[in-house]
Parts: sequence; structure tokens; C-alpha cells
Amino acid sequence: MTPPSSAAPAPSDDGAATDAREHATDPPPVVRATDVTKIYTRGSDPGRIGRLLGRPDAPKVRALESASVAIEPGEIVGLAGPSGSGKSTLLHLLAGLELPTEGTVTFQETDLESLSTRQRTRLRLEHVGIVFQHFHLLESLSARANVALPLVELGVRKRDRRERAERLLERVGLGDRTGHRPGELSGGEQQRVAIARALVTDPTLVIADEPTGELDTETGRRVLDEFERIADDRAVVLASHDRPTLEIADRIVRLTDGTIRGDDET
Amino acid sequence: MSPRELLVRWLGVGSVGIRRTISRATRTATKRVQFSVAGVAVVIALLVVVTGIGIGLAAGTTVYDDDVDYWIVPESDGERSTLLSTDQPQFGSVHETNDRIRGIDDVAFASPVLSEVVRIEIDGTSEYVLAVGVINSPDLDSVTDVSTDGLSHDDPYHQSGSDDDEWTGEVVLSRSAASLLEADPGDGATINGEDSFTVAATDEGTDSVGDMPIALVQLSELQTLTGGDEHDQADQFVVGTNSPAVEDELAGIYPQSEVLTRGELTVSEAADSGLPLALALTALIVSVSVGTLFVLTTNGLEVVADRRQLATLSALGVSTRSQLGLVGTQTLVITGIGGLLGAIAGLGGIRLVNYVATATVTSEPIATSHLLFVPYGLAAALLIGLLSLPVLLVLTRRVTGGVP
Repeated sequence: MTPPSSAAPAPSDDGAATDAREHATDPPPVVRATDVTKIYTRGSDPGRIGRLLGRPDAPKVRALESASVAIEPGEIVGLAGPSGSGKSTLLHLLAGLELPTEGTVTFQETDLESLSTRQRTRLRLEHVGIVFQHFHLLESLSARANVALPLVELGVRKRDRRERAERLLERVGLGDRTGHRPGELSGGEQQRVAIARALVTDPTLVIADEPTGELDTETGRRVLDEFERIADDRAVVLASHDRPTLEIADRIVRLTDGTIRGDDET
Repeated sequence: MSPRELLVRWLGVGSVGIRRTISRATRTATKRVQFSVAGVAVVIALLVVVTGIGIGLAAGTTVYDDDVDYWIVPESDGERSTLLSTDQPQFGSVHETNDRIRGIDDVAFASPVLSEVVRIEIDGTSEYVLAVGVINSPDLDSVTDVSTDGLSHDDPYHQSGSDDDEWTGEVVLSRSAASLLEADPGDGATINGEDSFTVAATDEGTDSVGDMPIALVQLSELQTLTGGDEHDQADQFVVGTNSPAVEDELAGIYPQSEVLTRGELTVSEAADSGLPLALALTALIVSVSVGTLFVLTTNGLEVVADRRQLATLSALGVSTRSQLGLVGTQTLVITGIGGLLGAIAGLGGIRLVNYVATATVTSEPIATSHLLFVPYGLAAALLIGLLSLPVLLVLTRRVTGGVP
């Protein structure tokens, strides 16, 4: 699916003409967050009746504050910061799992807010691969079936699904474990299945939240090797507070208390 | 998306749903899935058992007594009644035949029954009543719900084989007949102009069928009054036995006769009134209602417990529609398996019911068993699944999405 086009934001400063020329020559970023703020409500909203009865509004938590970042094709970007700094929130916004309270997130020049939930789900299916810290594999399906699951949604024939899933599992070193269920695999193997699942639709952007958080050093190293290998022609965003994980990044965006404090090339 | 891709997608969703359910049932969520399946199975088993009993009633296999009573009636395509059988074929040489029937092992009593509408006059009060001629015997307690206590045994007027022995003139009146005629035991009675009858007893204990005025008399004496003595005729036989095994022998007594059980006659009214149908329909409605509520509860809890996986599917790009397909497939697979197991258990339940019934209160099976109950149970279970789907799908839509 090609993301529906949206009107480009009007230039707002004097360097707009220069920016426009640069955009005309460089490929656009895969995903760009511009001045995004994300505020969560803790607990349930009291509603109209609750307010009439004097119930106070639920407390708000500002998880991300005016954050801007652009992810270019082919680069690995690390999101660094302590727990609660807003790394996961920014990842979720970039992946279109959530929408910002303020600001915009554009995916290949398309404002995600202009898309319906269904369109954003479809965009994730075709363009975004997600690797979770806790793997989130479906326990009742084999490794092969887990990897092939997004292809079912795309209407790929069973034989092709099987071939692609097995090829990817072979690539991440699990060619002999295709029929095993997640419960029969180690943490590292499960994470590699999750990586294979994230890659099966050949996405433009791969998002990984603490991909080595639950793995030992050696297994974590192997998983990171996979990420380096897959980054050739796609953008990868890794959120981690683990130094070795961030070492594979071309650029590290540092967050503290929901604010971007630095964006440095490594 | 092309139609072929859509088809492949839905086949894939169905396949994943089936594999996921089987895997959960056998590996990852064994107890929860087994509980859901068992719940549906119990409901369907009960449905099948009650339906079996209902059809058993309708099919007329039921006999509600320790004594298995049979009626031997002339073969006829029309409707029949134990009370009135005028203008129907009659049996001949009934006294002699009755002796043969009594000679069969396990037969406790037997009597021909001749029914005629007659005019009875007692003390100037005259009424038309149904006269029923029988051959009384020690075990024949009542005929057409009127006690035979006042009648001498073995039809004395036909004692020597011809109708010229001791005329008893005994008449037993049902409560309604006694009330109409204002008769008491010992009153003289005139039947069709013959004044040699005496009210031997009035039956105060029971209501005769339809509260019809009935007069029990000796068979040969009624034959004499109605002209049936020439060929020793009667309309039917009533046979009491403790063994259903005599049915075949009774069927061979007259070449053109039918042997009916008490059940077949008793429940014919029930069948006419639609009771078995109502019973089966009620069982279906109750089962489907209870089953739907059960499936809604258990599978609803399953969906809620599954919300993280549903959110994961959303994050991966699996549409809500496909997730609904998955939940729907899982629900139908669970109810289908439950229905299949329940139907088979129901057939076993029918055997158990029949075993208990024949060991305690009846001599014949009270419920009918048929292999068609299996697809019936399966269809009812799938109906339960389908009825549960809308709520489950709404629930799924509510819990899916967001960050897993």
C-alpha cells in the first residue's frame, strides 16, 4: 500500500526555499516526527456525570514533549535514555500504533493523523515491522506460522507464505526450528522469530523496542548482528538503554523526561 | 485486493483460527478450552436426551405401567378409539379366541371388548349410554376407566360355549352414568327394552374418559342385545401382561389385526395435541438460550484474556476484520466440537435413560435414539456459536488495538 498523499506543510521560515530544494533532490525521510507531544491520562476519565458529581479529572502524564526526529532510509537510529524517558512512546508514535496529542508524524510524507485506524493498520502491515521486547509471539502457533501471519493478511498463497517464512527463519539461524512453538524456543530464538516476522513483509521501517532487553549478552549480540544485516535498504529504529545495542546505530537520539536532549551521529 | 487474494486471506484466517483452537485445546490453554467445549457438550447432550424422549412419546414406544397392556384391533386405515368402534370391522369367535390368548404364557388377563350405544332406563329415567361388554377376570381391574368389580368372572351366560347359561344381568355404571340415571346399586335397569338387568355397582372412584356415561356389562349379554351373538363378535381385545415379548404372538391371533400398546393409544392424543413437538421445541429453545449464554460468558472471558495477543495482531497490521474472523472461527470450532461430543453423549444418555426407565418404571424404552441426532446436535451447537458471535465480535472490537 502506498500511503495516501497529504498536503506538505507550508514553509514557515526563511530557509524554506532551501529546504524545498534539498527535499527535491534527497529521498524523503521514511518517517518524521515534528514537535510531537504525547499526553496520557492516568486512570479513567470521569465523564460528564462524574464531572457534575464533582469527580476531578484524571491526572495527565506528559510522556513526550515537542520531540522532532526524522528517520532516513537505510539508517539505524538508536533511541537512548533511562526508563520513563519516552523512548517507547516515540517508537509507538513512529510506528503509528498511537497518535500524538500535539504535533505530526508523517510516514513517507503522509500525515498519520489523516489516516483512519484501518488505513494505519494496513500501513503497518505493508511498511512497518515491529519487534517487541517481550517478543509477543502467538503461543499456539509454530515459529513458521508466527512468521507467516502477516502474509495471511496480505492474501499470499499458503505455499508462498510457507516458503518465505522458512527462508527468513533460515536466515536468522532457525531453519531447523520452524515447527517449534514459542514455548519450545529459548528467549534468543523467540526474538529471532520475532525479527523474521517483522521482516516477512519486506517493510520500509523496522521498529524495535528493547530488542535485547531479555537476552543474555551472547544471544543479544547475535540478534544485533541480524539488525545490522537487515538495515541495508531500510530504516531501523531501536530503543534501548543498553550501550552495546546502541553501538550498532548510525545515530543516537537521546531522551530525558520526554524531551530530546541530543541527536548525534556515532 | 483481488477476489483471489481475499479468498486466500479468509481461508488463511480460518486455517489459523482452527490451528490456534486445536493448539489451545491440546497445549496452551487446555483447561479453559476443555471447559468451554464441555459446557456446550452438556447442553447439547441434554437437548438430545429430551428430544429423544419427546420423539419416543410421539413414536408411541412408551408404556407407563408395570403392566404392559395391548389392544388387538382390526386393521384399519382410519382413526381408532378404544371406546367407540362402530362401523368398523369386528372380530368373530371372540370367547374362544380369548381363551387362547389367556393360554399364552405371561398373559395376566384378556378380554374382548364390545362397545355399543344403548338406551338404559332406570326408575323411569332414560338415557343413552355407551355399553361396554367384557369378560371379567381377577386381574382385569377396569375397562375404559370403569371398575369391573361388580361383574362376575368369565361371562357366566357363555360358560358352556353357547349363550344359554346363567344370565347375570349385571351392570356397572360409571359415575356420570349413575348420576344421569340417578341409579344406585340394586336398582333394576332396562337396556334396549330388555328389563332383566340390575345395577350391580356404580363406580365412584374415577372419571371415565371424557366423563362419558358408560355401562359395563357381560360381553355375551350385550351381544344378545345387539345381535353380535350370532358370530360371537367384539370390536377389540384388551390384553394385560408383564412381558412385551407376547406382542408377536398377539399379532398372529387374527390375520388382519393390529396390536397396539397402551402407550400407542395413550400418547396418540398427546401426539395429536403436539406435546412431543412442544417438548422438543422447548428443549431446543432452552438449550440454545443456555448454551448461548454459556458460550458468551466463557468465550467472552477468553477474548478478554486474549486481548494482548489481539493487540499484537493489530500492531502487526492484521485488520480488525481478520481478528473478528479468527475469534468467530475459534468460537464455531469450540461449539462445533462441543456439539459433536454432546450429541454422542446424548445418544449415550438416551441409552442410560432407557436402561433406568426399563429397570424401574416401564417395560419398554421411553426415548428414541437415532443417528440423525448427531447432525441435529451439531447444528444446534453451531446455532449457539452463531448467536454468540455478534456480542463476541463487539467485545473483540473493543479490546483490540493499542499497544500490546
